[in-house]
Amino acid sequence: MRKGFMRKIKPLEILTKEQVEAIHRGTLDILERTGVRFEDDRALKFLEDSGCHVDYKERRVRFPSHLVEESIRRCPSSFYVKARDPEDDMRIGGNTLYFMSFAGLRICDPYTGETRAPTLAENDEAVRISDALENLDCFPSYTPYFEIEGVEPPMLCPISTASRIRNSTKISRSAQIADAPIWDIKMAEVVGMQMLGNMEASPPLTYYEDATKAAFKFGEVGFPVYIASGGVMGGSAPATIVGSTISNNAEMLAAVVMLQLIRPGIGIVANDFVFPMNMRNGSPHFGSLGCSLHQMIFNQIWHGYYGIPTVNAAAGASNSKLVDYQNGYEKMFVALTAALSGANIIALHGGVTAELSYHPIQAILDDDIACLVGRTIEGVEVTPETMAIEVINEVGPIPGHFLDKEHTRRWWKKEHFMPKAADMLSYPEWLRKGRKKALEYAKDRMEEILKTHKPKPLSEDENREIDEILREAREYYKEREML
Amino acid sequence: MNAEILRELRMAVMSYDAMKAEELVRRAVDEGLDPLACADVLTEAIREVGDKFEEGELFLPDLMAAASVLERATPILKREIERSGKKMRNLGRVVIGTVFGDIHSIGKTLVAALLTAAGFEVIDLGVNVKASEFIDAVKRYDPDILAMSALLTTTAPEQRKVIEALERENLRGKVKIMVGGGPITQEFAEDIGADGYAATAPEAVKLAEKLIGEKG
Repeated sequence: MRKGFMRKIKPLEILTKEQVEAIHRGTLDILERTGVRFEDDRALKFLEDSGCHVDYKERRVRFPSHLVEESIRRCPSSFYVKARDPEDDMRIGGNTLYFMSFAGLRICDPYTGETRAPTLAENDEAVRISDALENLDCFPSYTPYFEIEGVEPPMLCPISTASRIRNSTKISRSAQIADAPIWDIKMAEVVGMQMLGNMEASPPLTYYEDATKAAFKFGEVGFPVYIASGGVMGGSAPATIVGSTISNNAEMLAAVVMLQLIRPGIGIVANDFVFPMNMRNGSPHFGSLGCSLHQMIFNQIWHGYYGIPTVNAAAGASNSKLVDYQNGYEKMFVALTAALSGANIIALHGGVTAELSYHPIQAILDDDIACLVGRTIEGVEVTPETMAIEVINEVGPIPGHFLDKEHTRRWWKKEHFMPKAADMLSYPEWLRKGRKKALEYAKDRMEEILKTHKPKPLSEDENREIDEILREAREYYKEREML
Repeated sequence: MNAEILRELRMAVMSYDAMKAEELVRRAVDEGLDPLACADVLTEAIREVGDKFEEGELFLPDLMAAASVLERATPILKREIERSGKKMRNLGRVVIGTVFGDIHSIGKTLVAALLTAAGFEVIDLGVNVKASEFIDAVKRYDPDILAMSALLTTTAPEQRKVIEALERENLRGKVKIMVGGGPITQEFAEDIGADGYAATAPEAVKLAEKLIGEKG
C-alpha cells in the first residue's frame, strides 16, 4: 500500500467550534428550505422514495436535516482502494496525506508558456513519468492532458483512462461526463482494480444528468466516489469565503445523501474545488488567498467535523503561464495550507497554468514540493536517539563538533530533505557548472526517468481487451452521433 | 433642469443605482424630456464603464451592475419612445446562447446584457442549446448576428457543428457569427469559419458593432 505521509501534528483550525456549527446550521437550512435542483428524473424519484421532499415542477429536492446528518455519519472516516499493483493500493482518509496529479488542457513549453495539443505518445510519456514520482500517489480523470491531438472529445476520457492503466499502476479517478463511467468500469475490471468514481455538481445548487447517472453506476459497482462542486466565488457561489463554503457544502452534502442512499457505507472523498473569480477575466483564480482560506475551512469542517476524507485540488496550478517564481509560490502556498489544515489528498503535480496547461517538468518540481509539505506534517520524532543528549554531552564545547560522529552519519539523511530538482550548489560551483536552475535539473530528471523507468506492463490479453473496450466506446458514440 | 437630470442619470449608472435610474427616467418622461436623449446618456455611460473595465480600473461585477441599471431604466424609455411614434436606436438583432452540453451562463449573460445596453435587440436562448435549436432560432428571428459561447474544450466543437449546420441549410450567408468562451481562441474561430472572436464582454460589443457595419 502507498505510504503517503503520516500526519503527526494537530490540524490547524482557523474556525471556532461555534463558527463550524453556524456554518453547518446554515447548510442544513439551505438544503431543507431551498434544496437542490436535479435534472435527472430517476434521481428525483429515488430521492423522494428515500424520504426527501420533491417538487417535480421545479425539479427541486429538499433534504430533511436528519437525513443529511445520518448520511454524514454513514461515511467511513477512511476507505481502501485497490490498485493494479498492491504496492499502489491506497487507504484514503484518517491521518494520511496523499498527493494527486493535476491536469491541463494542453502541453506547454515550460520556458515560453506556449501551448499546443499533445500527442497520445506525449500523454503516455507524461503518465510514465508520473508513475516514477515517489510522492505522486494517484491520478484524477482525463489527466495529464484533456485535449489530445486527433482524439475527438467523447473518446477523450476512455482513451485517457486506457493510457493511465497501461502506463502506470497507480489509482485513477473516473469521470462522470458523456457516459465515461461505462468504459472506465469495464477497463478497471479487466485489470482487477478499482477506480475512484466521480460525482460533480453544477453550482449553484444543481446536478445535471451526467452526475447522477454516474452516481448510480459507481454505487452499483462499489467504487468509492470523489465528489466535487467547482463554485467560483462571486459567480456561481457567494463572494465571501464563508458564504461559498455554505453553498458548496449544500451542493456536496446533497451528493453525500444520494450516494449513501444508493450504497450505504460507500467511501466518499470530498474535493474542495472552490475559487475566487478573477474579476478581470472571469476565470477561477488559482493559487489565491481565497482558495487557501477556503480549503482550510473546508478541511476543518469535512475532515474534522464531518469525519469525511478530503481532497484539496486548488494547489494543482498557478495563474502563471510559465514554470517560474509565481508558479512556485502560488502552488506551495496553497499546498502547505491544505496540508496543515488536514487534507487527505492534495492535487498538485504537473499543472502549470490553471487547467490550461501541464508539463512533466512541472510534475517533477512539484514532487519536491510534495515532499516538503508532507514531511512538515509528519513533524519530528522526539526520542532519546533524536534528542542526542549523550552525543551533546560527548561533544561538549568548542573545539568539539558533530560532523565526524556516527550519530550524524546515521541521522542526517533521514532527518533532512535534499530536493531532487533544485539548485543546491555553492555559488562558485554553480558558476562553473553552467548556472543551472531548478527547471533544468527537472528536465534532466525527466530524461533519466524516460530512459530508465518501466511501469508494470499489461499482459497481451489485457491489452487486447482494453482495445476492444475502446472500440466498443467508439461504436457507442458513433451510434449517438457524438463522433 | 434637463441637464441636471441627464447628469444624475449618468451618475446613477456609474454608481450602479438602478432604483435611482428608474426614478430619474420616470421623472424625465413626466417632465417631457426627450427620451432618446436619456437613452443616449445611458448608452454612453455603460460604454464608459466598458472602457474603464478594459483599462483595468473596473471589474466584472461593475459591468454586471451597470448592465442591471440599464435593464431597469431602458424599458421605460423604450415605451415612451414608441408611444411618441419614434424608434429606439436598434443596432441590430443578436441571437445568443451557450452551446449544447455546456451549462455555463455567466459570460454569455454578461455579453447579452452589454449588447442590450449598447442598443442591440438580444434574444437569449439560454444554455445547453442544441445545434438544431440555433438553426430554428436563426430561421425564426432572422438575426443579424449569431453569438455562441462555450466554456469547456469538450463543447467548443459544437460551435463548428452549428456553423456547418447553417451551411447545410443555406443560412450561413444570412448571419454574422461571433464566438467566445474560455477555450476559444482567434485561431479556433478562424478555423471553424466564424466571423469574429472576442475575449471579453466589452470586446464582444465592439465586435458586434463592427460586424453590423460589415453587413451594411
